[in-house]
Amino acid sequence: MSVSTQDAPAEATQAQAVTPILQGARLRYFAGVISVLGGLLFWELVSRVLVANPLFLAAPSQILQAIYSLTKSGEMQGHMAISAVEFALGYVIASVLGIILGFAMAESATAKRALQPWISGLYATPTIALAPLFILWLGIGIWSKVLVVIFLVLFPVTINTEAGLRTTSERLIEMLRSFGASSRQIFFKVSLPSAMPFILAGLKLGIGRGLIGVVVAELFGSRAGLGRLISQSADAFNMPELFAGVVVLAFAGIVMTAGFAWLEAKLVPWTKD
Amino acid sequence: MGTKLSISNLGKFFGDLQVLRGIDLAVERGEFISVVGPSGCGKTTFLRIVAGLEQASSGQVVLDGRVVRSPGGDRGFVFQTDSLLPWRTVFANAIIGREIAGQVGPAERQRTLELLKLVGLEGFEHYHPRQLSGGMRQRVNLARALAIDPQVLLMDEPFSSLDAQTREIMQTELMRIWEEGRKTVLFVTHQIDEAVFLSDRVLVFARRPGRLRENVSINLTRPRTLAMKRTPEFVRYVDHIWRLIEDDVRASVIEEMV
Repeated sequence: MSVSTQDAPAEATQAQAVTPILQGARLRYFAGVISVLGGLLFWELVSRVLVANPLFLAAPSQILQAIYSLTKSGEMQGHMAISAVEFALGYVIASVLGIILGFAMAESATAKRALQPWISGLYATPTIALAPLFILWLGIGIWSKVLVVIFLVLFPVTINTEAGLRTTSERLIEMLRSFGASSRQIFFKVSLPSAMPFILAGLKLGIGRGLIGVVVAELFGSRAGLGRLISQSADAFNMPELFAGVVVLAFAGIVMTAGFAWLEAKLVPWTKD
Repeated sequence: MGTKLSISNLGKFFGDLQVLRGIDLAVERGEFISVVGPSGCGKTTFLRIVAGLEQASSGQVVLDGRVVRSPGGDRGFVFQTDSLLPWRTVFANAIIGREIAGQVGPAERQRTLELLKLVGLEGFEHYHPRQLSGGMRQRVNLARALAIDPQVLLMDEPFSSLDAQTREIMQTELMRIWEEGRKTVLFVTHQIDEAVFLSDRVLVFARRPGRLRENVSINLTRPRTLAMKRTPEFVRYVDHIWRLIEDDVRASVIEEMV
């Protein structure tokens, strides 16, 4: 049995035009690196020559030094561990809860009616402002921060999960129905996989919001954590250490978001074209 | 031979709108039957009722002596849009009907592989739908319906989204595949020449409400070749059917413009 040639898959026959695009592609590839290095250089020069006052600005080299000494003393790891635990606990609880709530809202009109006003209201509210209240309730330990993270991560996950399940293609559901599929089979074979890109997007949004939540909550009152490091350093006018905390956070955000992009490419490759 | 599918006094309302009225039809085992008609004549609704995806308002569909009330493994549906699951490979898409029935043993896997080979997709089992052309996706759509080994194959304008050349190729491919197993087929299309080329009988539907206007037997020899489309006999069939639906088509076109 032969395959008619005009039906050959688009990708198999697609040759890549290499030479003329190469320079543009290479430029694009290095654009990020050049931009970051250039920015750092500019920052270094400004803080050494223009500002030249360690009370106002720390140079990248000083920040690196601060990170190094904080790491050597073990102080940095301590702060990172606390913040990481707070973030991870809040993030995992919020993700699981958010996915469950999203499912409930997509499956039941009653659940949607009951939950929608709360979700919409709390999503738009700067719940981070409630952090002092949570600290009053739960103390300055990790749980007040976990609660802040939950409040910030829960809603994007819920909203995206619900939207993802709701937008499942009717055509695909009908196809399964034509084979006599049960509603359970339709859920697991169509609704859930087609909601995956949405759920992952919600979880990705949650990373940034969760990190901000941890730090801001720690600023309001804590014994340890990156937010604590930042507020301590600010009180002591120790700019290199303040920036050390900020840089570590930024780095964590970049790494986790990149990790998610990788996960998306693995789990939902069909959304990429 | 014997009656495979018998449809009696079938009617359908959507609210107050009557879309089908008094359809009677007896289909022999192994017959290839096409349904043509202007848009809005209820031909797709008719097919969906036979599939069990839609409930009749009156009358009944009887397949192998059993009244059809819901979708089932004795009918394989080939959709107008391919409706492939983008996260599944060609093979995993093709075997999904068996999977839903809870039958994915070695025999079913082997059978699915054979069918993919039959529709010309050998070597593409592990591709994903996005890597395939429209014609290849419709081949998977067909293999998926055949994989449950249905008693009747229901095809809803399966080639309408393909370009003219690919459509002709797919018509001959469908004939080749059909000759292998001689399934009973109900094929809905708006292409008169496609209906004549493929079928033993063409049911011509009228609109408002959708009803059977004429049952045209196509006495052309099999196997059929594309060259037959240019023979006088073939053209006579097409002309005859076109004249039957011409006024209806004009009416529906004018309606769509308003």
